[in-house]
Amino acid sequence: MGTLTIGCFPSIVGNMGYDFALKLADAAVSKGHKVSIWFSGNATVSVKAHQKHLKDYSTAEKYLQALLAKGVEICTCEACTVARGIQKTEGIEGIQWNAMHWYLAKIHAADRVLQIGGE
Amino acid sequence: MGDVKCAFIVQKPQYKGETSRLAITHAIAYQTVEILLEDGDTVTPKLCFIGEGVLGLQKGQNAMDVYGITSTESHVKNCLLVDLNVLVCKEDLDKYGISEDSLPDADDMGADMKIQVVPFSEIQKVLDESQHVLFF
Amino acid sequence: MKLGVFVSDINLTVDTLDRLKADKLGLILVQNGVYHATSKVNGKSSSLLDKTPNLYVLSEDVTIRGLKDTDVDSRVKVVNYSDVVDLMFNDYDQIAWL
Repeated sequence: MGTLTIGCFPSIVGNMGYDFALKLADAAVSKGHKVSIWFSGNATVSVKAHQKHLKDYSTAEKYLQALLAKGVEICTCEACTVARGIQKTEGIEGIQWNAMHWYLAKIHAADRVLQIGGE
Repeated sequence: MGDVKCAFIVQKPQYKGETSRLAITHAIAYQTVEILLEDGDTVTPKLCFIGEGVLGLQKGQNAMDVYGITSTESHVKNCLLVDLNVLVCKEDLDKYGISEDSLPDADDMGADMKIQVVPFSEIQKVLDESQHVLFF
Repeated sequence: MKLGVFVSDINLTVDTLDRLKADKLGLILVQNGVYHATSKVNGKSSSLLDKTPNLYVLSEDVTIRGLKDTDVDSRVKVVNYSDVVDLMFNDYDQIAWL
């Protein structure tokens, strides 16, 4: 089995690249691969807990929790996140907070890397 | 595992979206990644500007004055200061009429490294020799 | 290198793709990139489909747009997320998102 690192930069609302990243992660971990997700840029707003799922908007929380339960490692860029007014105490439990070198370390360990840009 | 080479390819202009700036700041993070790796393991990114990405390299940016944010120019200078390889596609500089003289350097900060203006074939070589390619 | 490229848009990516050289190139059409496989512009198929014989389109992103697998150009293989994971690990060394 392999190791996949996904860099996800798009926002949960406004760009379905985010939805793609989560679905791909789910497919990969379900096949037995080890998966890490790095959130940066606008993707970091998705780590805030207590999201309300309105049907006109994509939602993240329940999918992130499901991925965490399957063993996917998820980390948000702390600087990007606090810059958007979200504090660590408000985050979804189980999601790590770290600096950009976390992503590079996971790239180092990865067999495959998929970097999904934000725009 | 040793060194892992990565190509960071910036293909979008700065100051509308955030992705092209994040490419630079993530590349700079190679300096501190070793704290999360085993001894002897490293990540070596090469930061390459192609297409419209070269438009963000004009000297004399004043993003701090206008929007209160660090300019791409400052980020690129920091790259040079930490000995990160920065490559710029010559064909794309020519396409957009940008002279090599108008590219920033970090001489004032004491950096030895310079931006390398290269034909796209050299950037293709970077892609070929990298384990991972990241397009921003 | 064996390069697998996710194409997620109709435009914007063609310039970069034109320049990339790979020993083996695969194009995985996702999101609005699926229109390269399903639509003709002024009666002409997308030039992307001439770039490589290794063409894939994500079924979920076809059907979400009200299109059917039968709308997909015959040169393009329809795949699901599980297939995409296999492509990434088994067929290509490097993966890019454009």
